[in-house]
Amino acid sequence: MRAAGVVYVVDDDHSFRTAVTRMLTAAGLAVQSYASGTEFLSQLSRSAPMDGSGCVLADLCMPELDGLQLQEACAAAGVSLPFVFLTGHGDVPSAVSAMRHGAVDFLEKCAPQQALLASLERALERDAEARAARVRREQLENRFAALTEREREVLGYVVSGRMNKQIAAALGIHERTVKLHRNAITTKLGVRSVAELTTLARQTGLFEAPRQACP
Amino acid sequence: MSLVTILWSMSAAAALTLAVLYGIVWTVDRRNLANLTLCVVALAMAAVARAEVGMMHAATVAEYAAWARLVYLPVFFALIGLVLFVDLFLGTGRRWLLASIVVLRVVILMGNFLTHPTFAWREIVGLRHMPFLGESVSVAAPVLLRPWHWLSAASCVLILVFIADAALRLWRRGGTEERRKALVAAGGVGLPLAATIVYAESVLIGALPLPLLLTPAFLITIMVMAVELSRGFLLYRQTRQELEELRSEVARAGRVTALGQLASALAHELSQPLGAILRNAEAAELHLNNPSPDLEELRAIVADIRKDDRRAGDVIEQMRALIKRRTLQMSPLPLNELVEDVISLVHSDALAKHVALDYVVAPGLPLVSGDRVHLSQVLLNLIINGMDALQAAPVSNKRVMIEARPREEGRVEVAVTDSGPGVPPEVIDKVFDPFFTTKSSGLGMGLPISRTIIEAHGGRLWAEHAPDGHGLTFRFTLCQAQGAVS
Repeated sequence: MRAAGVVYVVDDDHSFRTAVTRMLTAAGLAVQSYASGTEFLSQLSRSAPMDGSGCVLADLCMPELDGLQLQEACAAAGVSLPFVFLTGHGDVPSAVSAMRHGAVDFLEKCAPQQALLASLERALERDAEARAARVRREQLENRFAALTEREREVLGYVVSGRMNKQIAAALGIHERTVKLHRNAITTKLGVRSVAELTTLARQTGLFEAPRQACP
Repeated sequence: MSLVTILWSMSAAAALTLAVLYGIVWTVDRRNLANLTLCVVALAMAAVARAEVGMMHAATVAEYAAWARLVYLPVFFALIGLVLFVDLFLGTGRRWLLASIVVLRVVILMGNFLTHPTFAWREIVGLRHMPFLGESVSVAAPVLLRPWHWLSAASCVLILVFIADAALRLWRRGGTEERRKALVAAGGVGLPLAATIVYAESVLIGALPLPLLLTPAFLITIMVMAVELSRGFLLYRQTRQELEELRSEVARAGRVTALGQLASALAHELSQPLGAILRNAEAAELHLNNPSPDLEELRAIVADIRKDDRRAGDVIEQMRALIKRRTLQMSPLPLNELVEDVISLVHSDALAKHVALDYVVAPGLPLVSGDRVHLSQVLLNLIINGMDALQAAPVSNKRVMIEARPREEGRVEVAVTDSGPGVPPEVIDKVFDPFFTTKSSGLGMGLPISRTIIEAHGGRLWAEHAPDGHGLTFRFTLCQAQGAVS
């Protein structure tokens, strides 16, 4: 089963662009092709916010914007699409630079079909994962946003492993009140155990500091 | 016939033959004055031989005196010729010595013809007959000497000093060829001359009652000179041949270097059509797996594969043509095609270096007569040079412009202009010197080779500052092909 998402082909060479589009389409992928990085970027800004999932298959050597510059421009525009680069001939410094900037792969134009498809699939999967993680995190943040100021304070102590008595002493409230806050937190966040609560809180990254402050 | 007559006639004949031969050689190549000096010395030697026979066979004092007086003239030419030959041959003679020798010999010659019977002798008192080579020959004895008779010997000693000095100076420079030449001049010209001086002076002052014999020494010297000069011819031919070979090697090296620079660009150029072919074939395969394949799509794919195959073939053909070593094959060429071909070759390189390549070919430009591969190489060299000159230029101003337009009748001019920093005015003429380069990795052969190629086409290649004051323009002219307009 193919991962969902569009493969954005960016290559200045007309015949290669046509051929690779043909092949990927025949292989069951959704493909959109662009003759230059500029054309791709203007398409991105027109359909902003970019919500379409997918990956970019770009020629490394192009006029105006080359592949690496396109990758940087996308990152600058806040579009975190995974890149797969194609090159006429393997050239180590460019490959290193591309991989450092988070390219999924770096292939020669005549690379075997399976290698190309595998790279694209990996790129689409990575995009889908990144997207799913983003969604999960957004939902989580929404749920955490429903907590009151006091509940958040209590949660901070819970996550760092304090007992109810300690929390009550630290906040100058009754232990019973702490228990009430904890019940409200687990209800709002929809968790059943302290362990689950801790995992969730860490995923949001909201409660890093207090944990470090209390060894 | 006497043995003396036979030997001396043979010597004279040999000398005359050489004189004629080298006289002809000199008329063919007038710049080579060494040939002329040999011709003069050989002619003079033939005359000396005749005068010596005259003296040996003289029956009366008057007849002997007439020949003895006359021999000064050929001796003058022989000695001056020798000195000049040595000067040309070694190239290290001292000018003031040479001038003193000439002046001294002119004085002796004039003194000889203003006095009687000769420069050295006040009077020939009588003749003696003595046996020589099996016959009886005449010898002047006794003679009365003039006070300045030693001047003649002094001039010859001066010549020896001149030769020895020049040979020594060349020897000190070192080098096998230099030392060999020094030895030849000292041994082949100096030694026979030294022996002759001693002998002739002894005869002149009457110490040695023998006939005056200059011919044998001169004969040796002339032979040495002739051998040296013909060696020069042989070496010249060999050197020329080596030079030709070297030039063609260098031209090839230049092409290979240009190719090296372009190898990555060419690989890119090839990978485009090959990649396209592969992807098209894969697409076709996927379509064929379909129970009812889209025939229209398959047809389009096959047509594209064919087109890309041709494109790859063209790239390879261009590369092959560049590597091949070959002579000029002139044909009528449309310049716009030529320029487009070359631009397609450097296209990727230009992209990688962010250089904009523009070209303007005047409409209706006539076909030019030229060798496609060699002219492509010249254009390639000039464009690559232009792009290299732009390395430090800001990206917004990296431009190489190629223009082609008709010039005065029958000629077409092509200009390649870069927007780089240009070169200082004092360097602009040096750019065509072999091994002159401003690039850290350049061989300095591209422009000299390009100029050689353009000149072989009957055109001219030169550099000038770009019209707007920035960068450099290379212009070359080509001849219009007979006939149609492209």
